[in-house]
Amino acid sequence: MATFTTFAERPKEHPDSDATQVYYTSNVLRLFAEYLERRKDTQVLDIGPVCGENVVFLSRRVKRLYVCDMFLRMDRDRRKGLPPSRAWRHLDYPPQSFDGILLWELADRLEEREARRLAEICYTLLKPGGKVVVFVPGESEVQQVVNAFVIGDGFRLYLRPQPHLDLPLRKRQNRNVLGMMAPLKSVKSFIYRNGLREFLFQHD
Amino acid sequence: MLKRTMSENDIIDPAPSHVSATGKTVIGKQVAIEGGIEGSEDLVIEGTVRGSIELEKFHLTVGPKGKVEAEIRAGNVTVSGQLKGNIKALDRVDITKDADFSGEIKAKRISVEDGAYLKAVIEVERDSKKKMEPVGKPNNSVASAPGKEPIPLVSEGDKGK
Repeated sequence: MATFTTFAERPKEHPDSDATQVYYTSNVLRLFAEYLERRKDTQVLDIGPVCGENVVFLSRRVKRLYVCDMFLRMDRDRRKGLPPSRAWRHLDYPPQSFDGILLWELADRLEEREARRLAEICYTLLKPGGKVVVFVPGESEVQQVVNAFVIGDGFRLYLRPQPHLDLPLRKRQNRNVLGMMAPLKSVKSFIYRNGLREFLFQHD
Repeated sequence: MLKRTMSENDIIDPAPSHVSATGKTVIGKQVAIEGGIEGSEDLVIEGTVRGSIELEKFHLTVGPKGKVEAEIRAGNVTVSGQLKGNIKALDRVDITKDADFSGEIKAKRISVEDGAYLKAVIEVERDSKKKMEPVGKPNNSVASAPGKEPIPLVSEGDKGK
């Protein structure tokens, strides 16, 4: 079975030391943090799943951090029998509000039509030159459940399962992801040995 | 002791709010208040409050049954119930997994539990004496096994970069 690129014991003092002991060092997160450092008065949108470590990490690097947990909202809508398209009402921010958006793996929890709609919304919400972080889960069974990518030291990302969320995973090839995220332009991408892929997209 | 301004819409429950022996006021779940609340001791809200809350350096807790729509200024704030409004805290704000919060948060420190239902704008006061972790090449010495570095994928956007 495929495994993560980096497998190691989670530090005992880590707040989630008893969870799935999987983490790896994220190249895209490092690039995104470098980009934020170069911008002034940055505004970033994190669409979740909400996790305290990420709120702390990001809020120390930006002027204003916007958090709107779309995973939780889509999960609640789905349980109420509402169509996925209803979820976008929550992203009611003015155009060109953000320097960066963290989508994590949300696009792969959506049907293609809705994923394309999400990309269009991101394009509208981003300032020119703004960046979007997208993750695409691989084949490992640990990724069948929704995970929070919890930011640790040294740009390590810990996978913390979110069992309260029930959103089906759609497996996609790279070309599908790139096409789906148009009109955003891919500027960097990485693949890890278990199939996890990281993409950094940019507004023109 | 807390003081507040009354409004015509106030609903006063037969079981009133009370001050506990530990120096905090609890607004019970059968109490609804509309108006401004000012205080100089800790406050726990299990009922419904609409208006404004000013507690200076003291601690406001919105309990799991609490429903609050207010502008809040306090020392520390813990949210476990429903809160719509803006929080300005002197020190920290804690959002628990049961919270349903929408609004702005300004504080020195913040903690958020997984599962919290959030739509928030967060501004954390930066301590100029504290140095942020510099961005640099990641240290893979602990986490990475030799020969297992990530493989960069070349995409359309990489061309010419």
